[in-house]
Amino acid sequence: MKIVVAIKQVPDRDAPVRIAADEKWIEERELQWAMNEPDAYALEEALQLKEKHGGEVIVLSAGPERVGSTIREALAKGADRAIHIVCDELGAGAGGGLRNFDALGVARLLAEAIKPESPDLVLTGLQSEDLGLCQTGVILAELLGLPHSTLILHVEKTDAGLKVKRELEEGWFQSIEMPLPAVLAMQSGGNKLRYATLMGIKRAKTKELRAVNAAELGVQAGAVVTLEQISAPKKQKSTQMLGGSAKEAATALVEKLKTEARVL
Amino acid sequence: MMNLLPILGEPRQFAIWEQGLFVALAGASVYGFWRRFGPILGKILQSKRDPDFHLFPIGKRVWDFVWEVLLQAKVIRERPLAGLAHALVFWAFCAFGLVTLNHCAVVFGLGFLDPAGRVGRFYFDVAAIFAIACAVGILGLFVRRFLVRTKWLGELSWGSGLVALLIFALMATYLAAFFVTAPGGAVQALWWAHTITLLAFLPLIPHTKHLHLVLSPFTVFFSCGEFAHIPPLSGDEDFGLVAGKDLTRLVSLQAYSCVECGRCMEHCPANATGKELNPKEIVLGLRGYLNEFGPKSEEALLGKYESQRAAFECTTCGACEFQCPVGIEHVPILVGLRRGAVNTGAWENDYGSKLFLALEKGSNALGMAAAERDKFVEKSALPIFDGTQDYCLWLGCMGGYDPRGRAIVLALVRVMRHLGASFGVLRKEKCTGDPVRRLGNDLLFQQLAEANLEALAQNRVKKIITICPHCVRTIQEDWKEFGTPPEVEHHSEFLARHLGELSCVSGRDFSRAEIAGKTAGALAPEQARNEKIVFHDPCYLGRYRGVYDEPRQVAALAGELVEAPRSHERSFCCGAGGGLAFLGEEKGERVSHVRAAELVATGAGVVAAACPFCNTMFQDALAARGEDAPELLDIAQLVARGLPEEQ
Repeated sequence: MKIVVAIKQVPDRDAPVRIAADEKWIEERELQWAMNEPDAYALEEALQLKEKHGGEVIVLSAGPERVGSTIREALAKGADRAIHIVCDELGAGAGGGLRNFDALGVARLLAEAIKPESPDLVLTGLQSEDLGLCQTGVILAELLGLPHSTLILHVEKTDAGLKVKRELEEGWFQSIEMPLPAVLAMQSGGNKLRYATLMGIKRAKTKELRAVNAAELGVQAGAVVTLEQISAPKKQKSTQMLGGSAKEAATALVEKLKTEARVL
Repeated sequence: MMNLLPILGEPRQFAIWEQGLFVALAGASVYGFWRRFGPILGKILQSKRDPDFHLFPIGKRVWDFVWEVLLQAKVIRERPLAGLAHALVFWAFCAFGLVTLNHCAVVFGLGFLDPAGRVGRFYFDVAAIFAIACAVGILGLFVRRFLVRTKWLGELSWGSGLVALLIFALMATYLAAFFVTAPGGAVQALWWAHTITLLAFLPLIPHTKHLHLVLSPFTVFFSCGEFAHIPPLSGDEDFGLVAGKDLTRLVSLQAYSCVECGRCMEHCPANATGKELNPKEIVLGLRGYLNEFGPKSEEALLGKYESQRAAFECTTCGACEFQCPVGIEHVPILVGLRRGAVNTGAWENDYGSKLFLALEKGSNALGMAAAERDKFVEKSALPIFDGTQDYCLWLGCMGGYDPRGRAIVLALVRVMRHLGASFGVLRKEKCTGDPVRRLGNDLLFQQLAEANLEALAQNRVKKIITICPHCVRTIQEDWKEFGTPPEVEHHSEFLARHLGELSCVSGRDFSRAEIAGKTAGALAPEQARNEKIVFHDPCYLGRYRGVYDEPRQVAALAGELVEAPRSHERSFCCGAGGGLAFLGEEKGERVSHVRAAELVATGAGVVAAACPFCNTMFQDALAARGEDAPELLDIAQLVARGLPEEQ
């Protein structure tokens, strides 16, 4: 199986988030960067499919120079080769975020890089941890003219194609049989992630990492969606006192946790 | 003193056929010896060179040789009776060097010690005293092995029985020669008896664990000299101890030197609590591997002869390495086996992966957001290190994120303020990497060490104080592989220097109620009584750093000290080291519970700790004992409680 995994480098979870002066993005100067978590699960699924069925895993990412470290991490974990779409417009220099490329733009870049590879399967993460649009994978499928499915936890290869397990709400799952080639948007948590190893990193040094840019791919920048403003959520605090006996109060509390707070 | 014994009977003349027979038998004996020893020596020499071996400075090597081999100090100190018996046998062997040489020279008429001459007679008399001592010693050891059957010695070994018999026979035939005065048949026969015993003994040596006779002086001399030293990896293809080709000369030498005495096994906390790990079997497993596959093999070490599961049950407490009388270094072997599994991704463990992933992305081993530490530092109004203070107070993962660790930090801060010490904490810390280092993840360790060294240099940190012995060890020793770490010490060492200024603490009486914080206000005189304190030596402070007295001096400020049965270099691990605090412990008894029971049995009202990991492990273990459990406090907390109230 030839599998392409599209990954995104996002600010590290631990990062202090400070809104930039122009309120169009966050301050990127002091940020640490990491692989988007759903993408890490996509990569893990791809590597497990390769281990079971043979083939090749190609990792693909669009972004500035710094994205290289996340690509190398993917190579170290077992991907066979990588394509880096070098794209400064996505970086801090141009204010970051959606300034010049929106989800459609990014999907176009990815699609042009993927088409010559003719893979059997394309995996993306369900959504990114910074913007959380959930669109790129779906648009990519459309641009490639391939069937797609989202919120995938497990992928099984069948004679006819694939059988995938989708996560729905309230603990429900859905199984879908679909043909190959296809695009899947992966949910987090379906597998146990593997850790990066010294051997992986050493081997990664010899693996192919090909760089291309938007011009070579024939994709023009020009977003159809613009980000107007971002702001920090306002902190709110409200207290409800529950009266009555301990038993009554407990019953009321459980009710509220179920219906209002939705944590039960 | 002179002429205690009759003159030693020595044959005057040997017939040609006797000389010929001697040469033939000696030749066969040496051949028998070499046939087995040659390949072993070959395997050792064919092993990979140790990457960081340096002969100099030679002083410590010579001293260790004199102390441990010639004086048999470790052998005797850690198992007095058996050790002394062994020492007697060993010293007799040394004394017999010239005797044996002379014995063999005599057959060609080249004897150089005249039994009737002054020098010769003196020498033989002294040797006789050693011979008696040796005979007594070997008899004692025989009784211990075959009649008492100490369990550490393992299965009954007939090879050992035979060797004991031969040694006894050697001494007996030597001593008998003093009482056979008339020259002729009897003297000649006795000479031959001694010779045949000797020549039978020689080829047996490399076939049994008595090979240590030949090897262990070299093992002690060449062994690393630093305790639990983890060697650097050499080159791009080195991932640790994966296969035979990764075994170095020192490791191979150590594998063949093992005397199977079982001291390592006796002191292993994993072995004592029903785990699969047995340090003796780890070493003997390497020997078995080398015998079957050799030092160039690609066959995996973790397979027929070594168990991956056992390798990951080790807390790296070092008790095994500390006890070994022949200089085997168990800790680097275990870490090496782990490296082989982790660096190649062969180790699959949920907890382990969780730990590695937490440190790949985050800053601490507990997997918590860095903002949590920031909040703690801010809320506690801890001074920030800006390069001007004397000390950088390193919180570590436990001090920064764990509630008990934080309590220890706050107590230490209170004491340091009282002492007027100038210190600050860093804005950001990354884990020193101790758990991943001991688990064998060199990729992650290198990343953490380098990032930390850079951050410390940028912040102009010169001296570090920390509450965690693991941080101390990792910063001072393990980071050396990637740069020059700043000076670092444990808070017990710092506090011990200021005992004079902390004398106010010992003026206070602690009652049980006050310690539990249950009553406020003045103490009624009848409620006040000094609580006994038992100090638990952390592995990484005691055996690893040799710091035993300082924390006791500090704890003694707060009460009367009692000692646990296993203390100082024999302290029984709390079970958290080696990264094990982050893994599961499913088999056997919990190490922490066993140790806690031992501490409680001393009758102390307070268990004093000096490591946040020990503290966390015992918290759980003592809580399981219920209401009557002793109080658990770090030495910093013991001191802080005794300080006058802050204004």
